[in-house]
Amino acid sequence: MTAQWTDDQDVDATLRAVLIDVLGLAPTQVAGFDDATALFGALPEFDSMAVAGLLSELEERLGILIEDDEVEAEMLESYGRLRTFVRAKALQ
Amino acid sequence: MTISGLNYDRYSVEGKEEWVMRIGPADRPALLILAPLLEEMNRTRALLAATMRRLAERGWTCLLPDLPGTGESERPLERCTWDDWRKAVRAAAPSPLAGIVAIRGGCLLDDAVPSQGVWRFSPVDGAALVRDLDRAGRVSDGGAAGYTLSPALAGALADAVPAGHARLRTLRLSSDPGAADRKLDHAPLWRRAEPQNSYELVDLIASDIDEWMRVCGAS
Repeated sequence: MTAQWTDDQDVDATLRAVLIDVLGLAPTQVAGFDDATALFGALPEFDSMAVAGLLSELEERLGILIEDDEVEAEMLESYGRLRTFVRAKALQ
Repeated sequence: MTISGLNYDRYSVEGKEEWVMRIGPADRPALLILAPLLEEMNRTRALLAATMRRLAERGWTCLLPDLPGTGESERPLERCTWDDWRKAVRAAAPSPLAGIVAIRGGCLLDDAVPSQGVWRFSPVDGAALVRDLDRAGRVSDGGAAGYTLSPALAGALADAVPAGHARLRTLRLSSDPGAADRKLDHAPLWRRAEPQNSYELVDLIASDIDEWMRVCGAS
């Protein structure tokens, strides 16, 4: 359905913008992220303090609440996994 | 003589002396600056100082109080209450007070004292700040976040929401879905581990504050 696909695009754009703003990454670098791009442990900017700020900023921008027990190491491993998690929270 | 009009004054609350950073001569119309709370305050300190300097150039005096338990305060944060912070805002405000400039969590305190106009930037509910503080404390085992709130202060902060005002102007970032009178296209400086300043943002918000406070008749 077209409307849902549009929301999907918005969520993806929001996630990329938050990565740029919170981690201080270059927009060109983040624009090149695909599902397989490794994040936590692979990007020096993406440490555990940055994860806290990232989750809080996603909550504010998307109007969602992320509980502690929902956050697993695997979901932070790659851009694709993080986007899948955020999409499920935002579009539920 | 002072360096670029910068002074450190004292104010007294609950029998304790606290510090106020003042930029501008004391006899001018005064704007009380209510900074973001906790770690967000540290990340926006340069933005606030530069904005205060700009406003002083436009004829205002800006006062930035240290809340009890924060900044250079000698009181331990873990013994401070929400009511202490509200009393501190009242005690730090000069009479007459022209206006209040409140950013992020500072907006939760901008109704503690009456003013002719309130200007807000990115107001946030206390519950979101407590969630962020808890999250940062957990990932760092309670160490690096460096803020230990009393249960009473954390509880009151979690319940705090920005109050209504007769003369209120609200600015937010374009990325923020909340309602605002104006949106600015900028990154949230208070999220960055390495604080950054933007003179473009400083110019934008200083001009907006100056114009709004004049509309409110505060000058």
